[in-house]
Amino acid sequence: MVDMIEPPSLEYLRLLPLLLVFGGACLGVLVEAVLPRRSRWGAQVGLTFLTLVVTAVVTVLGWRAGDVGVSALGSVTVDHPAYFSWTALVVLAALSLLLFTERRLNGGVSAFAPQAAAVPGSVDEELAIRARTEHSEVYPLALFSLFGMMLFVASNDLLILFVALEILSLPLYLMCALARRRRLLSQEAGLKYFLLGALASAFFLYGVAMLFGYAGTFTLAGIDQAVAAGAGSEWLLLAGMAGISVGLLFKVGAVPFHSWTPDVYTGAPTAVTALMAACTKVAAVVALLRVLYVGLGGLRWDWQPLMAAVAVVTMAVGSLLAITQDDVKRMLAYSSVTHAGFMLTAVAGASTGEGARQLSSVGSTLFYLVAYGVASVGAFAVVTLVRDRNGEASRLQDWAGLGRRHPWLAAAFSVFMLSFAGIPLTSGFIAKLGVFESAWSGGYPWVVVVGVVLSLVAAYFYLRVVVTLYFADPQPRSGQGGQAAQAPAGAADATPATGPAADGDGARGGALATEVRTAGAPAAVSSAGEVGVGRASVATYGAVVAAVVVTVVFGLLPGPLLDLALQAGVFLR
Amino acid sequence: MVTGASVAFWLLAPVMVLAALGMVLARKAVHSALCLAAVMVALAVQYAALDAPFLFAVQIIVYTGAILMLFLFVVMLVGVESSDSLVETLKGQRVYAVLVGIGLVVMLVVATGNALVGDPVGVAGPNSEHGGNVQGLAALLFVRYVWAFEATSALLITAAVGAMVLTHRERLVKKQDQRERAAARMRAYAESGVHPGPLPTPGVFARHNSVDTPALLPDGSAAESSVSATLRARSSIRTPAELTAPMAARQAELSADQPAQPGIGHGPDPRLKAPVDQKDADLSDEERI
Amino acid sequence: MDPNHYLVLSGMLFTIGAIGFLVRRNAIVAFMCVELMLNACNLALVTFSSHWGVLDGQVASFFVMVVAAAEVVVGLAIIVSIYRTRRSASVDDANLLKL
Repeated sequence: MVDMIEPPSLEYLRLLPLLLVFGGACLGVLVEAVLPRRSRWGAQVGLTFLTLVVTAVVTVLGWRAGDVGVSALGSVTVDHPAYFSWTALVVLAALSLLLFTERRLNGGVSAFAPQAAAVPGSVDEELAIRARTEHSEVYPLALFSLFGMMLFVASNDLLILFVALEILSLPLYLMCALARRRRLLSQEAGLKYFLLGALASAFFLYGVAMLFGYAGTFTLAGIDQAVAAGAGSEWLLLAGMAGISVGLLFKVGAVPFHSWTPDVYTGAPTAVTALMAACTKVAAVVALLRVLYVGLGGLRWDWQPLMAAVAVVTMAVGSLLAITQDDVKRMLAYSSVTHAGFMLTAVAGASTGEGARQLSSVGSTLFYLVAYGVASVGAFAVVTLVRDRNGEASRLQDWAGLGRRHPWLAAAFSVFMLSFAGIPLTSGFIAKLGVFESAWSGGYPWVVVVGVVLSLVAAYFYLRVVVTLYFADPQPRSGQGGQAAQAPAGAADATPATGPAADGDGARGGALATEVRTAGAPAAVSSAGEVGVGRASVATYGAVVAAVVVTVVFGLLPGPLLDLALQAGVFLR
Repeated sequence: MVTGASVAFWLLAPVMVLAALGMVLARKAVHSALCLAAVMVALAVQYAALDAPFLFAVQIIVYTGAILMLFLFVVMLVGVESSDSLVETLKGQRVYAVLVGIGLVVMLVVATGNALVGDPVGVAGPNSEHGGNVQGLAALLFVRYVWAFEATSALLITAAVGAMVLTHRERLVKKQDQRERAAARMRAYAESGVHPGPLPTPGVFARHNSVDTPALLPDGSAAESSVSATLRARSSIRTPAELTAPMAARQAELSADQPAQPGIGHGPDPRLKAPVDQKDADLSDEERI
Repeated sequence: MDPNHYLVLSGMLFTIGAIGFLVRRNAIVAFMCVELMLNACNLALVTFSSHWGVLDGQVASFFVMVVAAAEVVVGLAIIVSIYRTRRSASVDDANLLKL
């Protein structure tokens, strides 16, 4: 006699943001299957942004209604930090996805490979470039990744955490390998990210298994109780903590596990890099906070020194290596490592935020994540704009003197750099103040002292970029006279905007490519490789402007966001 | 007390460790995959011993039968013969790896060596609660873990989409069918006189029949179209002069000896020693052979 | 049967996988090593499941298999696309050789 299983009941209303993003992604896959190729791109963009807007509205409504609680039979915790990070994730993902939609810069096609299955430099690829095909699958993939991130920050048990980790990672691995230009680099980035990510998730899983062995349950609350009860082998607990920390710190990009960051950030399409830098960091840091504070709160004396050490090493390695970089994208990657270190100072502090005035560690980290995420999306958006004929020109020396030719763009980039550096009147300053305060009140003043010193080091390389932008003389690029570099920007602008497939990968010198290229290349352009600012669509400019506005407004008037972060200071147990 | 579980463990655990080591040490990817298959099947037996009959089946059917076979497919696809070179690119990497490994194994063995105290409860109870292991798993999977279960669909969709994106080549130009190709050939013949039949094969009427040797036309010139365009582009083909040179030399030699018999270009042919009549000498090489 | 034996076995397999990942440079074999590590985790999960007398560990192990399947598909797709690129001795030209 088989007994019937009682059907479970879920809190659909509370879980609606997750379901919406998931549904949007599934619909996107259907769109891909049903619509003819020509109308796919527009449909995907519309569907994706509709999904994001509706999700944001629903999330904010739920947040205002205070609809919190452990949901989905104990799988998902919807609490104030979860609402805060969901909103941040949706907004940051929307900003990054604006960069996905950019087509004008590339002469009417997206920044993703025309046909990823075609071998780079082959006739197939030329045909695909000619046919102007695009992989609009990136939108559903990005939404799936966003779904994974939203689940990741709200997961209440380790099993969900593991599944969410994979859901957020797999689409990112794929999207990393889809760049239109420098495809070998991009594929390599995908492979590297994938292999190291798989290794990290194996360690994470081993940690999960050990904690399950310790507590006999996967829920964070159950593990917390088991830790409090103190029964069972201490070694299992420590092994579990170590394994889980390795997996999460890998995603955060903290130092012993940061080696993938520069390569992957450089190789991936810049829009995807923006998504990774902003959203993955939010997801990973909040999940780390949740596991450590809720599940392993009783072990804080063990992990606090560990996190402090990791924070110090991360800050030091990130900022020192960033100084030596001469590629803007790579420099931003190391800067992302450095910022992971700054956030980890607050994690190590584990301050609960006494009183109504002081941010807890969770609150200050959340504020930091928003400030960092917005500025990095903006910075990567600017990276997509500075171009020569071969696409993005991300060498720092190519950016010299950009401030004189394109004052607005350089000003925007400078705002992001100043925010990264933590200069007052930007949101980065308030954020840095917050995390250091948390670390200080959590009993780690020495970490704060080291952090302040290292943020001066970091400020050096951020300011060096600003100086390069405004005061350095543009250097002639190899093979051309100074005349080429100083040519009016208008001429340089014309290339990416009018060449239908102005793809100058040196490797692909096929007759087809030459034919296509010369057909579209305006006579005004004298030689390859002038650095200018491409004429972008409203989307990219919108992302840059929005990022500047948010950075400055939260720098001048941090009050509202601080209040939200204050409110989101405690995890629901 | 000797139980089936302990027999299975002590028989198979050494096999598993050895197979795992074999997987790491084998130079060819296929051997690694087969070693991994051995580990997985042995692992399935351990699951059976641990009262997990469902996982026993899934481990063999899904993990070994599907996932690992996917590995084998890819190994075959990218070249079964490819084996790792043993040159270290990072100096001392292997030493560090082994040191890290030893540290890890000591740590894990210490951590887990006597981690669990007390008799295991065993899953016989939960297995029988719903009438069996599979029913018990279903009760958990579809109630307590239903959210995770639904979320994995995102993973599977992503995997399917990803495989399509990265490996499926969409046909952008319509493929010509045979009728269209034949029509195009005949049109080319009608318009510009391009020969509609197959191209001549290389090496015909010449001293070699390798692909880089063009066929010789009756007048002694080379038939360019008999050599593939790639070789022509690389200009690694033999020139007619190069090919006819020995023939001409022999011809000159023979004509010096026998002025009455021009046109014989072959080396010492036994038949040449015999008196040859005029008719035979007029035949070309091929007809004579 | 002492469950600790299973755990030691799982730890050894996990370590062998980790070493293999560090030592081998063939992407496919490195990925196989990750699979071995996941299998080791599964053994630990099933053992703990039996120790605690709950089926959660077995369910988790089942989920790991699903995740591994998806991961393998994505990973091998990336690996195949890279191999195709690297051996791009212009296979496409072969179409133009002969009619």
